[in-house]
Amino acid sequence: MLLDFARLGSWRLLLGLIAALVGAFLLLPIALIVALSFGSSQWLQFPPPGWTLRWYEELFADPEWLGSFLTSFQIAVVVTVLSVGIGAMASFGLTRGEFRGRELLRALFLTPMILPVVVLAVALYAFFLRLHLNGTFIGFVLAHLVIALPFSIIAISNALERFDRDIETAAIVCGASPLEAKIRITLPGIRLGLMSAAIFSFLASWDEVVIAIFMASPDLQTLPVRIFGTLRQDLSPVIAAISTVLIALTAGLMALAALLRKDARS
Amino acid sequence: MTFLDIRNVSKHFGSVAAVSNVSLEIARGEFVTFLGPSGSGKSTTLYMIAGFFEPSAGDIRIDGAGILGLPSNKRNIGMVFQRYTLFPHLTVAENVAFPLRVRRRPQAEVARKVEEMLALVRLDRFADRMPAQLSGGQQQRVALARALAYDPPLLLMDEPLSALDKKLREEIQAEIRRIHRETGVTILYVTHDQEEALSLSDRVALFNHGRIEQVGKGRELYEQPSTRFVAGFVGHSNFLDCTVAARNDHRADVVFPDGSRLPGTPVHRGAHAGAAAGLMIRPDRVRIGARGAAATSAGVDAVLSDATFIGDTFHFVATTAWGAPVSIRVPASAPMPHQHAVGDRVRLSWDPGQARLFDN
Ligand SMILES: Nc1ncnc2c1ncn2[C@@H]1O[C@H](COP(=O)(O)OP(=O)(O)OP(=O)(O)O)[C@@H](O)[C@H]1O
Ligand SMILES: [Mg+2]
Repeated sequence: MLLDFARLGSWRLLLGLIAALVGAFLLLPIALIVALSFGSSQWLQFPPPGWTLRWYEELFADPEWLGSFLTSFQIAVVVTVLSVGIGAMASFGLTRGEFRGRELLRALFLTPMILPVVVLAVALYAFFLRLHLNGTFIGFVLAHLVIALPFSIIAISNALERFDRDIETAAIVCGASPLEAKIRITLPGIRLGLMSAAIFSFLASWDEVVIAIFMASPDLQTLPVRIFGTLRQDLSPVIAAISTVLIALTAGLMALAALLRKDARS
Repeated sequence: MTFLDIRNVSKHFGSVAAVSNVSLEIARGEFVTFLGPSGSGKSTTLYMIAGFFEPSAGDIRIDGAGILGLPSNKRNIGMVFQRYTLFPHLTVAENVAFPLRVRRRPQAEVARKVEEMLALVRLDRFADRMPAQLSGGQQQRVALARALAYDPPLLLMDEPLSALDKKLREEIQAEIRRIHRETGVTILYVTHDQEEALSLSDRVALFNHGRIEQVGKGRELYEQPSTRFVAGFVGHSNFLDCTVAARNDHRADVVFPDGSRLPGTPVHRGAHAGAAAGLMIRPDRVRIGARGAAATSAGVDAVLSDATFIGDTFHFVATTAWGAPVSIRVPASAPMPHQHAVGDRVRLSWDPGQARLFDN
């Protein structure tokens, strides 16, 4: 290959430097937030004059933050379950089915990924207004399902395409019904795809803010919405603390997804 | 008595006739291979028996009962696929146990049967391995154990060894022959490797363009091919252009382009007087003699144009007076080859009964 890293010679040093700078640029705000959440300054002073867990204590003592955390978590879990379930069924249809308009249907399933989120949010808001779903749990779930589903369909379709269909056929010849063969053989065979579908669906809902702002009501707010709302009133280190919690969960899940990918390759 | 009865079966995919009017009767315990070039309909026929495709016409019966109404999972047929199809998340033992588990057999029976099957394919020590930890040959042997675990009366195999190298292939072929002897299962085996077909099976069904050209023992196909395709596909052969001069019941006299006349070549069908035909003679049945000496035997004059020594045989190519190449194989143990060199003018002869005449 023209740009073989091993053959770049001393350019590698420069490349490494640029990569480090870009990495720092991306990670610095996160590191800053995490540091501030442990800082003792009320005014988010940097560097912090001392260290404390006070903001975390305040955070976990505040029923509103806890409520939002729980709301976010519940929505994300329900979205994950539905997204993987529907995504699996859609993927079977899209990869195995032979019908006209299949590619069109696949594109349609994936449009929420390319549509500007604001457009989607406004459309969902207007639509849900008629159905009285705005501000409801179901409304949140449905809206987040729309953006989570493409992740599931991509992950599961890919896994299904790599899974040799003859293996499922072999299970059927062995005496399993087509459904039994899918449940006992094919689904375990694509489990890595199912797990990454679950992780990305969860994250799509968990840290989604634009649609959530439209969907939220005073008594049903997800974590990102509350952070956003609180930020506009006062800049408390509690926000840094909750952000850190959010980051930790997201990073943990991303690490899990990366591990799964590595597992799938080996 | 007929065990598997394939009657006038056809399969069309749109306008493509993948299988046309195939009929075949197979006895219990027989080992039959489907041999033929790529796309000749071997797999499609097998898949109709397995239940993956529904025939466009015809009937398939096992022990006199039609099976076309049954879905694949109810046909109780064993199958080994061309690609590796072990269940990747289950151990070797669990793979073999799977068909018994879906049949809800008691645990003790499952354990006993798994052990018996793994012993049959000589993989007892691999019970706890995962499929990814096995070689290709081992995987196909486990697949064989899995396919036999529920004692199906019929075992289908679709080119199960085509992904393996030659040495391993021959090793597993021997295993398959042994397992066939030990279990008595009826086997239908698809291959496009004629050596494999001839060495494994009791009978060979030769497919071409969705039809069976000929069914019979390997020797019959080799020695009494009923069509030009069979003659060309099974073993090596020479085809010499000629014209039919006279024809009686099963023999014909032919005239070669150089005017030489040859009497008494067997004809299976066709080859009417005056028609252009092809005379088929196997390379190992052609004798090389000195010109003029023994012109009494049937044959043609030619010039040796190539000679190669390939281990246990000499391979000659001779060119006839009208420019047709004739390939000749002589065992290295025969004393004759040393007398001939490239450029020699020779007489090629053969026993007329060993040649065969086909329409062009
Ligand atoms: N599902 C299908 N749809 C359309 N055409 C098919 C299908 N399956 C097979 N065919 C066609 O039917 C014909 C016979 O195919 P088949 O797979 O039976 O050949 P084969 O003898 O097994 O060849 P090979 O040695 O390459 O496996 C081919 O022309 C093939 O293209
Ligand atoms: Mg085939």
